[in-house]
Amino acid sequence: MAWAKRGHEAAFRELVRRYERPLFSLLYRMVRDRTLAEDLAQETFIKVLNGLDSYDPQFKFSSWIFKIANNAAIDHLRKREVETLSLDGSPHATTPDAMSATALQLGAPGETPLQEVEARELGGAIEQAIAKLRPEYRACILLRHVEGHSYEEIARILDLPLGTVKTFIHRARNELRIHLEDRRS
Amino acid sequence: MDGPVTQHLTPEEIELWAQGLLPAARDVHLAQCGDCRASAERERKLLRELALLPRLTPEFGFVERVMAKVKIRTPSGEFKH
Repeated sequence: MAWAKRGHEAAFRELVRRYERPLFSLLYRMVRDRTLAEDLAQETFIKVLNGLDSYDPQFKFSSWIFKIANNAAIDHLRKREVETLSLDGSPHATTPDAMSATALQLGAPGETPLQEVEARELGGAIEQAIAKLRPEYRACILLRHVEGHSYEEIARILDLPLGTVKTFIHRARNELRIHLEDRRS
Repeated sequence: MDGPVTQHLTPEEIELWAQGLLPAARDVHLAQCGDCRASAERERKLLRELALLPRLTPEFGFVERVMAKVKIRTPSGEFKH
């Protein structure tokens, strides 16, 4: 980190290598669009590497970088209202046709090669159940159970009280179980 | 007041149990409580599925694409792009 702070190219490169997969995985599962997730991951790294002087070493570096990535995803979802996009369609849809028109299609016939990759990567039951969670729950579940952050770290990353993080994770796990049981029954 | 043996497991304790980290006193409750055992088993199954999710990889050349856009300080203290 000290080397990276002084702007050494090799240290920058090492930081990107170390975090590219964890950050990209989080962002991809948050926005469910490969190209967009890569753009957001790039944006995150550029912000982090160009802003290392503002990094406060009393916090874990991983918490800081995940916080920037998560903010980028949430900002995007808010702007585009993608948080309302689910496999069942927008919650704003009031008719079955509207739901169908706004539903996220995975593995549909005639898909592009990129859509095929996305369907393969995010098409499993557990991935689809995660997609149905609201963004805050999704972020909590991914940070806790995929990235292995502690509850305290997640509270710092998401700027939420510890109790809220615990509640979100508990509710998210209940929702995931219900989605998975629905699919399997 | 409920003691450690009679109180139901919290979601965090269930997570600890799934990781093999539940304190022995709480294990006693789990052994005696069918409801908690059933929830714990359901939770363990879900946590296993989540733990098996793979890390996903960006397109080849991602590091280079990032590095091309980052300001790098040269030994003289100036920035190169």
